Parts: sequence; C-alpha cells; structure tokens
Amino acid sequence: MKKGSNLLNRDHFKKDRARDSQQEIEAAALSARPDLKHPQVVLSLLEADQVVAEKQRTRFGRRPLSFRVRLMLWGLRVYVIIMLVIVAISVFRAVRGGG
Amino acid sequence: MAGLTDKTEMRAYQPAQPTTESAAASPAGQQLAGLLTHEDLDRAQDRWRVARARWGGRRSAPLRSLSLIWLLVGPGVLVFLGENDAPSMLSYSAIGTRYGIGFFLPFVVLTFVMGFVVQEMTVRLGAVTHRGHAELIFDRFGKFWGLFSMADLMLGNFLTLVTEFIGVRAGLSFFGVRPGVAVGGALLLVLGAIATGRYWTWERITLGLAIFNGLFIPAALLAHPNWQAVGRAFLTWSPLPQGNRPEIALLLLSVVGATVTPWMLFFQQSAVVDKGMQPRDITAGQLDTLLGTVLAAVFAVATVLATAPLFRHGINAADFQGAEFAQALQPWIGHVGAMLFALGILEAGLVAAIAISTSSAYAFGEVFGTAHSLNRPLREAWPFYLILVGSACVAAGLVLVPHAPLEFIVLTVNVIAVLAMPPALAFLLLLVNDRDLMGEHANSFWQNFAGITVTVLLVCAGLGFGIATVFPGILGG
Repeated sequence: MKKGSNLLNRDHFKKDRARDSQQEIEAAALSARPDLKHPQVVLSLLEADQVVAEKQRTRFGRRPLSFRVRLMLWGLRVYVIIMLVIVAISVFRAVRGGG
Repeated sequence: MAGLTDKTEMRAYQPAQPTTESAAASPAGQQLAGLLTHEDLDRAQDRWRVARARWGGRRSAPLRSLSLIWLLVGPGVLVFLGENDAPSMLSYSAIGTRYGIGFFLPFVVLTFVMGFVVQEMTVRLGAVTHRGHAELIFDRFGKFWGLFSMADLMLGNFLTLVTEFIGVRAGLSFFGVRPGVAVGGALLLVLGAIATGRYWTWERITLGLAIFNGLFIPAALLAHPNWQAVGRAFLTWSPLPQGNRPEIALLLLSVVGATVTPWMLFFQQSAVVDKGMQPRDITAGQLDTLLGTVLAAVFAVATVLATAPLFRHGINAADFQGAEFAQALQPWIGHVGAMLFALGILEAGLVAAIAISTSSAYAFGEVFGTAHSLNRPLREAWPFYLILVGSACVAAGLVLVPHAPLEFIVLTVNVIAVLAMPPALAFLLLLVNDRDLMGEHANSFWQNFAGITVTVLLVCAGLGFGIATVFPGILGG
C-alpha cells in the first residue's frame, strides 16, 4: 500500500465490490482517513461479534451448572444474606451508640 | 447509515461463539452492512486509530508503542482511580490518623495486588467476548442468578454513589461552598462528561479528572513523613495496630472494600467492550490495569502518609469527614497542603460518581437488552442515559435531604462491597474459565490460584468481621 494514499476514495468499491480482497479493505482501513460511510470499511475494522446487530442477533447459551457449582453459588448467596444481617446489626449498634 | 430495522431478524437469537474474524469476512458480513449503528461507526473509528498506531508507518518502535498505549489506556486506570473514591480516601485517612505509619501501609498495597488479580480477568473477558459482565452472567447462568448479582450490584452502586456526593460536599465545604451548589456542580460535571455522546471523549475527560487523585502526593510530601519508618513498615509490616480489635477488624475490611468491589468488575468489562478492545489488545489492557493499580496504590499510600501527623499529635478523628481531615491537618501541612487534601477528596468523589453511575447504566442496558454505549446519541440510548443521570440525581438528592441516614450509608458502603464480592468473584472465575467463551484466553493454573486465593481471603475477612460483630468479646475488644 502506498503510504498516505486513501484507497477508499477510489471508485472501485462501488464498481466491483466482489473483486476487492479482504487485504485491500484492511489496507484501506489503515489509510490516511477511512471513509466510514462505507459499511465494508467499518466491518473490516470490527470483529464479527463486535457489531451491535450481530450481538443483538446472537446470545451465548446457558452453560450447564454441575451440582458442585450450584452448591457453591447457593453457599455464597446464603453467606451474603447472613452477613448483610450482621452488618445491619453492627450499624444499628454503631448508630445507636453514637446517637 | 441504516439503523437496526429488521426486527424479525433480531428476534431469531442464535447461540454465539466468540470470534476474532473480521466482521467484513464473516458469513453475516453482507447482512450486517445494512444494520450498522452510530455506535459501530464510532467504534470502528477508534479501531482504525489503534490499527494505525500498531501499523506505525514512519514512526519508530518506541513511539509506536507509546501511541498504542495512549490509545488503549483507559478502563484500567479509570477503574482503579475511580475506586480511590471518597469513602476509600476517608478509610485511608482514618488509617493514617488512628494507626500512623505501620502495618497498614503494606496491607493497603496488598489489597491493590488483589485488585489487579481480579480486574485483569475482566479485561480478557471483555476483549474476547465483547459482552459486558452483567450480560454474560444472564446469558450463561440464567435470569435467577443474574438477578441476584444485579441486586448486589445496584444496591452497592447506589450506596457508594451517595457516599461520593457526600465526599464532594465535604471536599468543597473546606472552601466554604454550600452543599446545594457543591452537589449541583458535581451533577453538571457528570452530565458534561456524557454530553459528547462519544466513549473516547468521555474516557479522556474522566481520565483528565482522575489524574488529580495525585494531589494526595504533594499533601503527603508536605507532611514530611519519616521515610525510614515508611521503609521499615513495608519491610516488616509493623508496628501492628493496637487497640480495639473489632474496630481494627472493621477497618481492615473497609480497606479491602476500598480496593476490591463488584462495581469495578462490571465497569471495567463494560468499558473494555465500549472501547472496542479486541483479543490482540489484551496485553495493552493488562498494562492499563497495572498502571491503574500502581497509580492508585501510590495515591492511597500518600493519603495515609498525609494524615499520619494527626496520629503523631494524638488528634481524635473518630467522626471526621473529608473537610474535617483537611482542617485538622492545616497546622502540620499548611493551608496549601490542606487545600490539596480537600481538592483530592472532591476529585475522588467526582470521578467515582461518573464511573459508578456509568457502571449502573451499562449493567441495566446489558440486562434489559437496550442500547448501552457512550458512543450512542441520546435519542438512541435514552434508557441508558436516564439510568446514568437518574441514579446520580437520586444519590445527589439524598445527600441534601435533612436527616437522611448518611452515617448509616458511610458506615456500611465498603463493608457491603466486600461482602458482595465473593459471589461476584465466583461468577467471574466461572466465566473466565469457560473455555467455550474464552478459548486460549481462559485462566491458567496460576491465574486461578490467585483468583481463588483472593476469593477465600475475602470470605475469611467477611467471616472475621461477622464473628467480631456477633461475639465482640472473642477478639478481646
């Protein structure tokens, strides 16, 4: 690629997009100022699952949770609830003591 | 550029696989070309700058690296300087005042090491999956666990946000600014940062503000610390804190809570996604996180050193807030030092208010599937901005309500953060070990060892606090 050249200003994107190789598009993306009005340039700069429409179209599915993992998650949940009650007691004492 | 118009297509959810394939070369490339949003264009422009910096042109290798780091630095520095927030700085000030130079100095640094271990995982998760933390938890573990984790986050975020505005009010009260004006000004700043509708600009504005966390360094130098004692404290972890042991346990927990909190996980991962980072940027993201860790640790230690004169002179600072610390320090660090200290507290509150309200907005958007990017204009992502501004407004309003339970909030905020952290870390570890998601970027044995150690330490810290509270006599307090 010629340094400083802007391949995106050329008309060949419009004339024969199919002929453009991926390398050309990526090289164009590295040119002085990319023409972001051209969707192919935008897409060449982003990974497939980085595009908002693709992210909305697809979701990572649920992962199966083993018994041990579920037990751990429940254990931690119970831990948080008990500790929050303890915090409430502690703060109640502190506020009452201070007041 | 066309927006997202094909609703039928949008409903047809398909399981995703993380990919490093360029969108242009993907099978859906042609279809996506007609569905690009403003967010995609802004992100593509950011990626173009990164690609240019990486390619380098005529630039020398060091210049190219610097340019790349400048472009990719952000989420890591922001999350750590954001977490050096008002309640954290007040915790460090309390340490300096009550215990001086000693055990707590290396302990503070240790908490930052723990913070780095945790936050580095979010960089990899965000760069590989391009999904925020809340979205991944809902997707992989389902609504039931997702809602629990959101409840922890939202409660913690709201309470923390309130304390940030308390910090802003306290910092400005040193200069005689009325509470309404202080809090209103802070809200305007939050609005100003998002008004640009561009992640990059928001990030640079917030980074520019965050660097003022360094004001604690000149304040510390003006306190003329005993450098020999500082060196000895780091080498020997002594002298150990003396006195009321339950109080020490609470302070230990609050120092951990000052560095490792759930909002940081959600914020950094979402910011990495919004910045458009890709797997090839992971090393830069790790450097960014390391830089944030080092800066925040230095500023935290500086805060302890700045307030150490109050310990030397036996000042009782039990009920001090930001401004009282600054006023009490004035005889020893001078008016300029006290002013720098008050400004530091103000900055800590401001930056954290921006980061935490953004963290809530990101999580909300990820869970409810609405647009959630700072690259989106208001008309496209109004629920995102509504949550961001709304949460800040409610928290700011609460600070101005007479007789609001602010003391309750300040006392609990860091403790709640620590207690909510183990479940958040469990989800993080499960996600980052999920090879379907992470592939080669999944945790190594040592990364798991470090992550599990931090989780166990946090659970133990919480249990220690619980025991000290329920059975105060057991620790000899």
